[in-house]
Amino acid sequence: MILSNTRFGNIEISEEDVITFPEGLIGFPSTSKFVLITVKEDSAFRWLQSAEEPALAFLVADPFRFVPDYDVELPGHVQTQFAGLDSNAIVLFTTATIPKGKPKDLTLNLAGPIFIHAGCRKGFQAVLENDAYTVRYRVFPQADCVTDGVAA
Amino acid sequence: MLVLTRKVGQSIVIGDEVEIVVLEVRGEQVRIGIRAPKTVSVHRKEIYDQIRDENVNASEVRPEDIPEA
Repeated sequence: MILSNTRFGNIEISEEDVITFPEGLIGFPSTSKFVLITVKEDSAFRWLQSAEEPALAFLVADPFRFVPDYDVELPGHVQTQFAGLDSNAIVLFTTATIPKGKPKDLTLNLAGPIFIHAGCRKGFQAVLENDAYTVRYRVFPQADCVTDGVAA
Repeated sequence: MLVLTRKVGQSIVIGDEVEIVVLEVRGEQVRIGIRAPKTVSVHRKEIYDQIRDENVNASEVRPEDIPEA
């Protein structure tokens, strides 16, 4: 089938590519079918494209590429959903935000990880309640404007 | 909104499976206990709202702004 979307042109996908988020993403409860789109091989980024709303896609990233010691446990209610399934097939993403024209201001939402089970093709976004991680983790250090243009 | 008055130790039952208990009141702070099945997700609203906002922001990223990584 053809996945219609507004960013990437028509993409041929199969039924097995579709990932179901029974609860949707937080703030987007009415959209439950998504497809992960890889724009560039080896990139840390993917797009979680809605299979139902052509204009809706979330930028997501593999958090371990930027935060190798990111330590997150499967929350209880997600554990229940994946009970009895192979836990090695769980893939983790976080949403990524880049303000318009400012790639250096990339942030990752480490407090709202997205768990996808590659076997059952189901996904859930969790809310971490323990305050250990921020919703706006800055990947690149803030540009230091003080040293800019100062002659010795 | 339904408004109920409760004392410490008293609770509210929502449906058959969710119970909310007032544990302690100290000045402006209220400690609340929640008993709910694992399938029900329970969150502080401000964190939930922040994650919703970040989801909105992630849906507005322009593909040309993605760094090489």
